[in-house]
Amino acid sequence: MATVTFDSATRIYPKADRPAVDTLDLEIGDGEFLVLVGPSGCGKSTSLRMLAGLEEIDAGSIRIGDRDVSDAPPKDRDIAMVFQNYALYPHMTVEQNMGFALKIAGVAKDEIGRRVAEAAKILDLEDYLRRRPKALSGGQRQRVAMGRAIVRNPQVFLMDEPLSNLDAKLRVQTRTQIAALQRRLAVTTVYVTHDQVEAMTMGDRVAVLKDGVLQQCDTPGALYERPANTFVAGFIGSPAMNVVTGPAVDGGIRLAGAVLPVPREKLARASAGTGRVTVGFRPESLEIVVPGDGGTGGGVPVVVNVVEQLGSDAYLYATLGADDDGDVLHTADVVVRTEPRTAAAVGQTVHLRVREDCLHVFDPVTQLRVD
Amino acid sequence: MTTLASAPEETVSAAAPVAPPRRRRGRGGKVTAAGPLTYVLLGLTALVSVFPLYWTAVAASKTNAELAGTPPPFLPDADLFTNIGRAMEEAPIGLAIVNSVVVASCITVGTVLCSTLAGFAFAKLRFRGNGALLALVIGTMMVPTQLAIIPLFILIAELQWVDHLQAVVLPTLVSAFGVFFMRQFLSQALPDELLEAARVDGASTLRTFWSVVVPVARPAMAVLAMLTFLTAWNDFFWPIIALTTDNPTVQVALAGLGGGYVPDTAVIMAGTLIGTLPVLVVFVVLGKQIVGGIMQGAVKG
Repeated sequence: MATVTFDSATRIYPKADRPAVDTLDLEIGDGEFLVLVGPSGCGKSTSLRMLAGLEEIDAGSIRIGDRDVSDAPPKDRDIAMVFQNYALYPHMTVEQNMGFALKIAGVAKDEIGRRVAEAAKILDLEDYLRRRPKALSGGQRQRVAMGRAIVRNPQVFLMDEPLSNLDAKLRVQTRTQIAALQRRLAVTTVYVTHDQVEAMTMGDRVAVLKDGVLQQCDTPGALYERPANTFVAGFIGSPAMNVVTGPAVDGGIRLAGAVLPVPREKLARASAGTGRVTVGFRPESLEIVVPGDGGTGGGVPVVVNVVEQLGSDAYLYATLGADDDGDVLHTADVVVRTEPRTAAAVGQTVHLRVREDCLHVFDPVTQLRVD
Repeated sequence: MTTLASAPEETVSAAAPVAPPRRRRGRGGKVTAAGPLTYVLLGLTALVSVFPLYWTAVAASKTNAELAGTPPPFLPDADLFTNIGRAMEEAPIGLAIVNSVVVASCITVGTVLCSTLAGFAFAKLRFRGNGALLALVIGTMMVPTQLAIIPLFILIAELQWVDHLQAVVLPTLVSAFGVFFMRQFLSQALPDELLEAARVDGASTLRTFWSVVVPVARPAMAVLAMLTFLTAWNDFFWPIIALTTDNPTVQVALAGLGGGYVPDTAVIMAGTLIGTLPVLVVFVVLGKQIVGGIMQGAVKG
């Protein structure tokens, strides 16, 4: 078991004009399950490969435990990796695949057999030990790849989108199994995925990357409740958070002629200099109100384009109209979650209000959260 | 062309009216049972291919006079062993076969091993000058063999290797074609992840080569081995320069057969027949090694 530390680790690919991973600082605790998540090309796989020793580190360093492994070859790092396409040795049986690393390390034959049998039992692979990879299903191959990592008993597990080749149902099932297995083995794990649902459900903490830069690293709950910037706000949560920018007026932000109340202090800081403010609100924190109801300006009017019925919920995909004052022409798409029975009809105009304390305020220039 | 029963279905399912159904089926890679026409075509091709070998056997069992008759004979005779005996007397064919087996085996093992190593390096290892070196290797294929023969002979003579087998083996231990062939095969058949998995598993580059690359490369290695063995076995130009009829390879020995005022076709054919048999054995053995689909199941996608 060990901690993992990225200390300003940077990777610049030859002939690239910007770093694939830019001064990444990340501290991963002993036994922690950390998920690296982000859109494709954000540098999450590169970060993992740097930790694995498959990618050079151009600046900064990486430590496993107290040991600086920046220049160590993969075999000296005491890590095990699960690849996206499993990378099983095609000519070896499941047993040989799982025991290969131990064989190279010179572990005694009966010890290899014992550890392979143990891992096979955990992963329910006992009946397939003598088969070759091509005679296995996708889920079984995935488990063999996991088994190959487990038998090594490493300090750190590295997983590079291990579920992306499974079908949807198996993916959900395996997701839970991997998370449970990791808790049981209590091995520090770094897990890469582009799927924010996987990230939220599996990780103790989630690190969100974009363009090689770490945006935020926190628990799934905190990422959801307090996104550090508009990118994280839009990336975490499904459907995504609605993020709109509009002119700051007294008491709030003006959207489509109505005023959405924003706490005075946040409004002042976010709009300083520009007179504009960016706000974010999740589909699930919106309420449909009757216009002219109460003293909140009656809610923001939107026109419903599409209604998605999911049974338990309904989602309204609506357009936030242009500002009728004419100085700012601002249309935006807004998603609203509503009760399935009371869902509005297509073409109807509904008025929205954000539930208290559910409004996120961002600086329109820096895109950073304002608290 | 194949099963008639499936033809109407194909026509219906082919949504695009432009493409004729038959072409679609041909390109689709669908496995269907071969029809009678396929068998007839394949049978004819096989006959045409086998006939020269059969004719060699026929001619080897006749005399010159019988061969010159009309119509030519089409059935072998009992004289086969007499003719083989005469061929063995005229030239050291036994020694030549042993020599050829040694030479062709050494060249095959050397070429396959070196080409696989070099092909792996060119395909998967990152090093400075990779591209330039590969271009240089491929460039040597454009230099005609004849151009190098004289300097090569001078070199061999200086080493006092004339009439020794190493004179034939050493210059052809690796071939540019082999390197290129293995590189092309490995760069598409060997996924990078497999090499990375081996690295993470702690394998050295050499260990990775033996335990991961060679098993994947085996079908291509078998093909290269067959081609190389055949080329080495049939090589005549360089062996007849470097060797003499005292210590010949098969082709050199055959050149000395049936000489005289009138070439003795029957004896030449008898020699050719026994000189061809070892190659057939190699084909039968290596043909089994070319197993398709060995990579299936290694990586998904």
